[in-house]
Amino acid sequence: MITNNRHNANQTSLFEGVDRIAILLYVLLVICGLISITSACYDETIEGGFFTFAHSHVKQALWACGALVIGIIILLLDSRYYHMYAYYAYALGVLLITGTIILPEALAPTINGAKAWYDVGPFNVQPVEFTKITVALAMARVMSNYSFSISNTHHLMRVGMIIFLPLAIIILQNDTGSGVVLCSFLFVLYREGLNKWICIPILIVATLFIFSFLFTPLFLLILLVVIFTLSNAMMIGNLRAHIIFLASVCGSALLLYGVSELLFTNALSGYTCMIIASLGGVIAAGIYAVRRNIPAMLLTIGIFIGSMVFVPTADKIFESVLKPHQKERILSFLGIVSDPSGVDYNVNQSKIAIGSGGIIGKGFLQGTQSKYFVPEKQTDFIFCTVGEEWGFIGSIIVLGLLCALILRLMKMGERSQEPFCRIYNYCVASILLFHAMVNVGMTIGLIPVMGIPLPFISYGGSSLVAFTILVFIAIRLDATPRKGLMTA
Amino acid sequence: MQQNEAYTRRTILQFIVLLIFGVIILRLASIQIFDSSYKNQAKGNVLRYEVQYAPRGEVIDRNGEYLVQSKECYDLMVIYREIGKQGFDTTRFCDVVGISREKLDRELRNARMNPRAPYMITNYLPKEVKLRFEEHHFPGFYTVYRTARQYPRKIGGNLLGYVGEVDKNDIERGEGEYKMRDYIGKSGVEAAYEPILRGKDGVKIMERDAHGAIKGSYMDGLYDTLPIPGKRITCTIDARLQAFAEELMKDKVGAVVAIEPSTGEILVMASSPTYDPDELVGRERGNNYMRMLGNKRQPLFNRAVKAKYPPGSTFKLVQGLIGLQEGVLTPSMAYPCHGGYHVGKISQKCHAHASPLDLRNAVAQSCNAYFCYVFRDIIENKKYENVKEGLEVWGDYVRSFGYGRKLDSDFLGEGPGTVPTRELYDKRYRGSWNSLTVLSLSIGQGELGCTPMQMANLAATVANRGYYYIPHIVKAIEGQDSIDRRFYEKQYTKVDAKHFEPIAEGMWRGVNVEGAGTSWRAYLPGWDVCGKTGTAQNPHGRDHSTFLSFAPKDNPKIAISVYVENGGFGATIALPIASLLEEFYLTDTITRPQLVEQVKNMKIYYPHYDNK
Repeated sequence: MITNNRHNANQTSLFEGVDRIAILLYVLLVICGLISITSACYDETIEGGFFTFAHSHVKQALWACGALVIGIIILLLDSRYYHMYAYYAYALGVLLITGTIILPEALAPTINGAKAWYDVGPFNVQPVEFTKITVALAMARVMSNYSFSISNTHHLMRVGMIIFLPLAIIILQNDTGSGVVLCSFLFVLYREGLNKWICIPILIVATLFIFSFLFTPLFLLILLVVIFTLSNAMMIGNLRAHIIFLASVCGSALLLYGVSELLFTNALSGYTCMIIASLGGVIAAGIYAVRRNIPAMLLTIGIFIGSMVFVPTADKIFESVLKPHQKERILSFLGIVSDPSGVDYNVNQSKIAIGSGGIIGKGFLQGTQSKYFVPEKQTDFIFCTVGEEWGFIGSIIVLGLLCALILRLMKMGERSQEPFCRIYNYCVASILLFHAMVNVGMTIGLIPVMGIPLPFISYGGSSLVAFTILVFIAIRLDATPRKGLMTA
Repeated sequence: MQQNEAYTRRTILQFIVLLIFGVIILRLASIQIFDSSYKNQAKGNVLRYEVQYAPRGEVIDRNGEYLVQSKECYDLMVIYREIGKQGFDTTRFCDVVGISREKLDRELRNARMNPRAPYMITNYLPKEVKLRFEEHHFPGFYTVYRTARQYPRKIGGNLLGYVGEVDKNDIERGEGEYKMRDYIGKSGVEAAYEPILRGKDGVKIMERDAHGAIKGSYMDGLYDTLPIPGKRITCTIDARLQAFAEELMKDKVGAVVAIEPSTGEILVMASSPTYDPDELVGRERGNNYMRMLGNKRQPLFNRAVKAKYPPGSTFKLVQGLIGLQEGVLTPSMAYPCHGGYHVGKISQKCHAHASPLDLRNAVAQSCNAYFCYVFRDIIENKKYENVKEGLEVWGDYVRSFGYGRKLDSDFLGEGPGTVPTRELYDKRYRGSWNSLTVLSLSIGQGELGCTPMQMANLAATVANRGYYYIPHIVKAIEGQDSIDRRFYEKQYTKVDAKHFEPIAEGMWRGVNVEGAGTSWRAYLPGWDVCGKTGTAQNPHGRDHSTFLSFAPKDNPKIAISVYVENGGFGATIALPIASLLEEFYLTDTITRPQLVEQVKNMKIYYPHYDNK
């Protein structure tokens, strides 16, 4: 923990207690972003020199200045406001994203198939960027409540509500990529003590969701029953009883199948038998849990029922929820369809651009691949420019800065006495981590293309401002208590 | 939650963060440092490969006259994304290039599908248009040098073949040799000698800078290759003779093939009706091609090597030769003819002539009865178990003359013709047939089918007294000492050379002894022309007229076969055509202009083609 001796009572500057390392990392990232945008979009046909407003990088620089002003305002505000108005902010955030769905096309245009934007004069704003902040504030507010206990099922439900309400709206907006970001709050829940035997099955279910169409529903169902039974066993002990339970569910399914085969012709499929058997098992386990009053077990059962509906029907969700291009991207990522000039094109060109950078890169404004062959080169695929022009070394620097900022935010959260501050900081860290992982991962073919920006680097005013607010609130919250302690 | 537990979880989360970034960095290291394939692909992205098309080889005739030339022409290409936002003056563009506004719009729409790839707007731009085009500046548009075929003499459409853009099958068959928009020989000489005529395309590698503009040659042209032009081919054809043959065959359906017996070189190969080869070049090619396909007389069908005609009386030469070799016939043997050959209900009619005749006179007079006796003697020979076996022996002889099989010339798509086999008759007559059943074979009718080239080859074989060289169309290839070996090898028939003399004499008598034969109109003073007429019955109306000939009798210089569908007697139309061609080839003069006019103006009515 950092000693507080640099904060003496005589110092009354504006930046009292503000974490300078975090600010420095933030500024460096924004500069990296500006350099990359300059390379990605530089258009020599624009007359009037390097600093003309028509250049994307000049626009982005103005946005960065604006963001800095907003950041200073945030630092000036009393940190108690964030705690006080967290729920109002949350309500506003939900309203904002609901608005894009309700409002007519003229005010809320559909861009890239997602009705998730506002048309605000000269530019478009994606409100979900700001909703992330408000969800993080609401999370922090709920979980920092003195009476809050993470092991209390009801309390956990409340947290779930906070996450899933905006998630549902975002999915309705047809902007699944941004919605998935909210799932990264599992990271925070784990830090706050959520039983790992809940976290692990959720992670597995999430993975299964992506890969579900590779398996038959029967296989998926059996997998789910096994995973949840075992995780429940790990959570409340008594492995032997759980194995007996597992065996009896499978046994009864087999029995049912055999009997129906003998009595009728093709009466029941194996899948139907397994569903009946597992429903029976769930009811039995539910009665047992209520009788013995084991709420943890009820929670597992709840998640199981949720995922049983979710995963075997993932095919349908896959068909209806995901947009065709997302579907194609996921299928292409999984190697189910491969077509270098078609669906794979983005990722393939992106990999070529990054790969061609080599160790030291081609140098500023010398990139050709990302400039001419990568689509969305200044927004979602900005990392291509970094990789191509600055090579492996430049990539490591950008990734290092991001990683350092995330770790710094976590550290700032840990050193705070206020749970509100800690939880919020973790929320910010998890959002940044998720964005960085998915964005960079997709440019190098590790993760399906989802279309979310790289924090601070990608071109786009609303995204830069939103991330600035997100981080500066964290810095403000971190600065407060120590300052408060000094002055108290 | 315990303080300890919190510390553990915090550590685990920090570890997860580092793990995620670690995996990303490892992946980056693999694609940026260790895997060079991405760098190579990037090079492919940045470099622009410009194909330098090789000019196609030219074709000249045996006397050095051009049959096919290559003229320069240009493809007009566009790279859509380089057109630029401000666009261009489309009206002026259409004006300069000479295409319609609709076509330009249509092609630009197609080009937009793949804005980075070069797309062809139009082809076969003449040089003048290309120069005019370059005076203006249309961003994104450029021209590519190609060559187009040009036919100075406008002869030999089916013989020379045509060139067209490769299709899917060509690309597959070429195993990487061909790519889209390449040209390939589609038929005739163009197809047969495609690898030689084609040459090898070169490539010019250009490097682009970060702005997409061409920076210059990549590595100073180290990896560029120059196009290697296609080689020139000297054809065996005599262009003037070919042109004369096509002229004479005008308005008649059939074919003329002339061969130099001492080499097997094809002097004339005219299929009629023919077409102007220039019609299958350029932008109108598709339309013209479709029009020709729709022509009921099938100008695209090369009758000279593909048609199956009954040889008629010309086949009596083969019959006589087999009889002599089999020992069932001697030149002095005479058979009577009383208006034909009659056995029971079966009869083969014959025209009025002196009787009995020996072999020489039978050939000259083309006596049907005589060769019925000969044919029956061959297949009913006691040496063989029965008639069926006799027919097999006969068939082997016939095939040794090149009938019923491909001659293996250098001409693609050569037809085999038909020589009936024992199995065919067994099947047709359920095993019960005899020499009378197949009697029509004796005078070249029935199931026999021959190509005009096979017939010309027979003339050459008799001219050579027993052997032939495989007929071929190419005499020499630029830069090569010789053509394929098989064209230098004598092909012997199964009949000994000594038996050929009486047959040749018979052919000579038919022309040169007045009143002794059917071919007297082919007489050329001082040239000892030998000839054999043929009049082939057929299911399409009037008899086919055919004539086989070679001259002079000793040291023959030309062997020719003329076949005119529904032309009537052999002497009516096929004979004068052959005679005029022989005269022109041997003496370089035309002494019978009125005959030329008469032949040219002779129109034959083809109800089965035209009323289909």
